[in-house]
Amino acid sequence: MKKCKYEELIDDYLLGRLSPPEKEAFEEHYFNCSLCFHKLQERDAIISVIKSEGVTLFQDIYARELTKSPSWWEKLTAFLPFPQVAVAVTTAAIVLLVVLGINSLRQPSSPQFILTDSQVRGESITLISPVIDINSIPTEFRWTSLGNKIKYYRIYIYNHELLWSHQTEENFVVLPEEVKEKLKAGEKYSWQVKAFAGDGHLVAVSSRVQFKVTPRQ
Amino acid sequence: MKQEQRINVDLEEIITKYRPVITFKVIKAIGSHTPEWEDIVNEILANVIEKIRQKKFRGESTIGTFIYTITQRRIIDYIRAKSKSLTQVPEPKPYPSPLETLEKKELSHQIFQAIKKLKPKYREILYLYYYQGLSREEVAAKLGISSKKVSERVHYSLKLVKKELKTKK
Repeated sequence: MKKCKYEELIDDYLLGRLSPPEKEAFEEHYFNCSLCFHKLQERDAIISVIKSEGVTLFQDIYARELTKSPSWWEKLTAFLPFPQVAVAVTTAAIVLLVVLGINSLRQPSSPQFILTDSQVRGESITLISPVIDINSIPTEFRWTSLGNKIKYYRIYIYNHELLWSHQTEENFVVLPEEVKEKLKAGEKYSWQVKAFAGDGHLVAVSSRVQFKVTPRQ
Repeated sequence: MKQEQRINVDLEEIITKYRPVITFKVIKAIGSHTPEWEDIVNEILANVIEKIRQKKFRGESTIGTFIYTITQRRIIDYIRAKSKSLTQVPEPKPYPSPLETLEKKELSHQIFQAIKKLKPKYREILYLYYYQGLSREEVAAKLGISSKKVSERVHYSLKLVKKELKTKK
């Protein structure tokens, strides 16, 4: 049987990737093509289960991704929007480090504000949720606890700029309603957590991780 | 004459054939958790039948396009009416839970089991492409394979799921 050209658009339609005119054209088509409508129904049933039961279905894959430690490149591009920007920023950072390095040879060493892994003795904060696409606005943000040596944590939520910041002694925070209202479906956000000791000394910093509330159909 | 013959549509066939299509479109637009969806579907079908009886369908477009136009207009009217009475337009959930019928629940359960049974590389492709919503290119970059291979693997994973569902019937 000859394949209908609209068949290839089924996934894009169901995942909200078509532009409004494309969406209209596709919808008009499945009102006229029984074959495409049948395939659309089948695919929709499968995607519905994947989206609603994904946490259970893909638990092992998700757990594997959480424990995988990102490369320095992945850490850098986790919060930078475009690879080109990542390359430009990395190049600028390298040049800056070289210049600072040369300067530091002439001056007494100044306090370091950038923590390396060795300075935190290999500890880092792992962000638990949300870390991937989610179906609804998150109510809670959770991360791994670093134990008693941490006096407090500070969480930062970003879109293109800092959206909200909060200090807590727990390893989770419940999002206030006024902040939840700022999170829109289809938009990308990122968040990060920093851990501080009792004297205000920065102990650990998490990667900045993206999440997206799945856009509405 | 030929056009008149074509316009002689079987109304019962229309209802049987287009009820599921209209239902699908309405639920996608306003969500199955919105209690009015069923009334809206019935209204649309009633409107279609009335217009056909009044000979307002003249065969200038296909019957599918005719019904789609009526469906779209009704959905837009509903959303406009709702937005006037609420401060926010009611947004459907992106993937509402499957309809609360035993048959739908059973199908969802079978799909769940079928996906769980897949080999890791096929489950992973469904996880990346559908659950995380990555594009083919993004999945390809993540797995170190070509975009074409991603499409093939997605297609094959779905084929395996459908095959498993058929064996359950």
